[in-house]
Amino acid sequence: MISDRRTSWLMIAPALALVTVLFFAPLLRVLVISVTEPSFGLGNYALLLTSASIQRTLLTTLRICVFTTAITLVLAYLVAYVLTHARPAAQRLMLLGVLLPLWMSVLVRAFAWVTLLRREGLINKALEALGLIDHPLSLMWNETGVTIGMVHYMLPLGILPLWSAMRAIDGRVVAAARGLGAGPAQAFLRIFLPLSLPGVIGAGLLVFIFSLGFFITPAILGGGKIIMVAEYIDGQIQETLRWGVGTMVASTLIATIFLLMVVLGRIVDLRTLFGAK
Amino acid sequence: MERMLQPGRSVRTLGWSVICFLLLPVLVIFPISVTDRRFLSMPQHGISFEHYANLFTSPDWLGSIGQSLVIGIVSSAIAVTAGTLCAIGCWRLSSRAGEIVRGLMLVPIVVPTIVYAIGIYRFWVDLRLLDTYTGVILVHAVTGVPYVVITVSTALAGFDQRLEQAARNLGASMPQTLWRVVLPSILPGVVSGAIFAFIQSWDELVIVLFIASRAIFTLPRRIWDGINEHLDPTMAAVAAILILLSALLLVVDLSIRRKREG
Amino acid sequence: MSRLQTFAEDQAEILAASRRTLLKGGLALGAAAAGFGGPAQAAPKEVVLANFGGDAVKAMTEAFVVPYEKATGGKMVIDGSGPSNGKMKTMVLAKNVTWDVVDSGLGGTGELGPAGLLEEIDYSVVDKAKVTPGFAYKYGVCNYMFSTVQAWDTSKVKEKPTLADFFDTGKYPGKRLMRKDSQAMLELALMADGVPADKLYPLDVPRAMKKVAAIKKDLLFWSTGAESQTMLREGEVVMGWLWHTRAVLLQKDTNKKVTFSFDGGLLQPGLWVVPKGNPAGKQAMTAIASMQAPEGQVKLLAAMGNGPANPAAASLVPSELNAINPGAAENVKVQAKIDADWYEKNYAKVRQGFLDMIAS
Repeated sequence: MISDRRTSWLMIAPALALVTVLFFAPLLRVLVISVTEPSFGLGNYALLLTSASIQRTLLTTLRICVFTTAITLVLAYLVAYVLTHARPAAQRLMLLGVLLPLWMSVLVRAFAWVTLLRREGLINKALEALGLIDHPLSLMWNETGVTIGMVHYMLPLGILPLWSAMRAIDGRVVAAARGLGAGPAQAFLRIFLPLSLPGVIGAGLLVFIFSLGFFITPAILGGGKIIMVAEYIDGQIQETLRWGVGTMVASTLIATIFLLMVVLGRIVDLRTLFGAK
Repeated sequence: MERMLQPGRSVRTLGWSVICFLLLPVLVIFPISVTDRRFLSMPQHGISFEHYANLFTSPDWLGSIGQSLVIGIVSSAIAVTAGTLCAIGCWRLSSRAGEIVRGLMLVPIVVPTIVYAIGIYRFWVDLRLLDTYTGVILVHAVTGVPYVVITVSTALAGFDQRLEQAARNLGASMPQTLWRVVLPSILPGVVSGAIFAFIQSWDELVIVLFIASRAIFTLPRRIWDGINEHLDPTMAAVAAILILLSALLLVVDLSIRRKREG
Repeated sequence: MSRLQTFAEDQAEILAASRRTLLKGGLALGAAAAGFGGPAQAAPKEVVLANFGGDAVKAMTEAFVVPYEKATGGKMVIDGSGPSNGKMKTMVLAKNVTWDVVDSGLGGTGELGPAGLLEEIDYSVVDKAKVTPGFAYKYGVCNYMFSTVQAWDTSKVKEKPTLADFFDTGKYPGKRLMRKDSQAMLELALMADGVPADKLYPLDVPRAMKKVAAIKKDLLFWSTGAESQTMLREGEVVMGWLWHTRAVLLQKDTNKKVTFSFDGGLLQPGLWVVPKGNPAGKQAMTAIASMQAPEGQVKLLAAMGNGPANPAAASLVPSELNAINPGAAENVKVQAKIDADWYEKNYAKVRQGFLDMIAS
């Protein structure tokens, strides 16, 4: 078994070396700036408590990301479920639908959404033509538009891992439950859903983390008024050169996510999430 | 294995509606790509294929697509190899150390790219890797690894470790076990990881703007170039072509399978 | 005009400079046109000019690169990657500067200057007399002029609107467009509120912010030139404040359906800045001096709409271009002028405050 552990570490080694040398090392050199600029100390971190601007940015980001993740998870679960139970030909078609949008670069996508969602856009025109609405819906330049754009981007990211996890659920367990007399709803709620939960948490974590880094989509679809934390950090680093503040907010973000993962790890045993038995 | 929880009609309809939602912008991009104006818009007075013509005759655009392809393929190959091995290693370890390593592998997604960009710039100056293929490929490989680790780990969640042990006990070497027992099972995870790693490299702009200047001009840079003047519809033509190609591949794949089964 | 005798003292700096890679595609225009080469020893160091890419590359190549190369025998090359303050700071701190002359603005000198990241402009080489008075600063010198102007959709706004009308959503219902940056927006807001153009500075920031906040729900904000055009063109907004160069393009693209006026605009300078430790050293100043020539600046005006910085160019501007020239006498009369000193002291804080206000 010792050589077994050694083999495992050997397999881990290349990725670990790559990420340590080419990522952590340079990153730490940058994050250190949060305690050295403009002067030594935790002055930048104190801004977390005193700066209404930073607090508001963080709260807005949190709100939009949580909302986006929740909606994405529900929809992704739906699709993954149908995908898992579909015939191979239908599966391939669905997968195509999931993967095709990935080919559109973020600018192209944002513009496509503007074309669809704006007051005189295709969706409003279609709804009006069908007589379903009297005046155009306000789907753009607000949080609704941003959420729609973000959910659309995130769905493939949520669907694929969920599908992967659902495929692994042993059909015989479900069959056994049905055999013992459980109705389909019961079998789903008490057998399938709990078994898929680790996959849900994993996909949710991925989508949430990813959405925290968004800023082009919200910037365009929000009419410039929705400023998320990634854009805030970018502004401090690129425009106003307040690198101390920018790196501080970035460090805070990273720390928060770690905290989140630790907390989630308590709720759901992350080991089963990631497959160790 | 029989799936006894077949989704009912309403669930299936909802699922397909989500797929339609996913495809909505994809469909819109086709009319946009044939706009007769010189900026991104719906066609006004008629359709024009000038943007496709521009795409196929412009050395700038073709060059950028070529560069992005090379960088994307090589970096995702590195990410997939390293990431898959790492995920399997952590899975086999199933100890606290393995969890920590897995957590560490996720950090690149968490960190805002601009922060990483200024860090890696410094490093690349010392190693003279600025504005080189190697420099960008390595960076994209690093940022691609997390996706692979996540998708492969999720796939491994359903893989029975005893199967691997059984294979080893029956005398298979580690590479053999990996290749013939583990990998086929987790293949969807590996492929998804590869796709995400490739796409993130294909779309990546912030870091490239920092570590490249004149030699490396990837597709996102090309799209971003001239953003102060107008949104060049050529980017819509690029997306449309890629989408058509993928759809074509699928149709070919489906018909091959049908022939094989029929 | 050339300072070949200083080449020797710059020799030492070459050792620290990074390798230049060869150009591809369209950027080779200028190099091909020059044709002067000679052994590397004798020619001046290659100068790298950084700007925001797109049409600016071709325009500046014809307006600046070709005359420079002809006059000095040296090479000039354009890097269109878009020089952000952050990238310049990173380069200078890493002691790996790859740009010599950068197309920047008050946002650049305001942040980078006080931080010691820029070289001082050498006015013994660069001629102050060839710059419109008031636009030659310690860390930057005007390369061209541009304005922030008000544009409107004539199908929804029948008569020419005043700046005050921008804030009157009752009189002209519909959304308004502003830049996602305090620069020029606060000035125009104050003028709309009645502050005379010559009494703008120091800016009464709270008053300006209050004015903008009042119509916040009808305001949209642009970050890139393309966005500013798209919003007005597609009818998403009825009135907007944007760069005159984009307004000129809009006017052309929409066949005057969207039009603009210099009345109540703000005249702003684009600035050449030189990052500290730039590879070509003093040659950068020679390059800047070369780009002060009025003929090149008029070419730039014709290609991109950017007004010449050199007062002598005024006589060379053909009369039909004067309508779009922000520096033309008739246009300067109706505009306010931006104040660089105020920006140096206040920009960072005010900009953040502005962004906070629009996001809240």
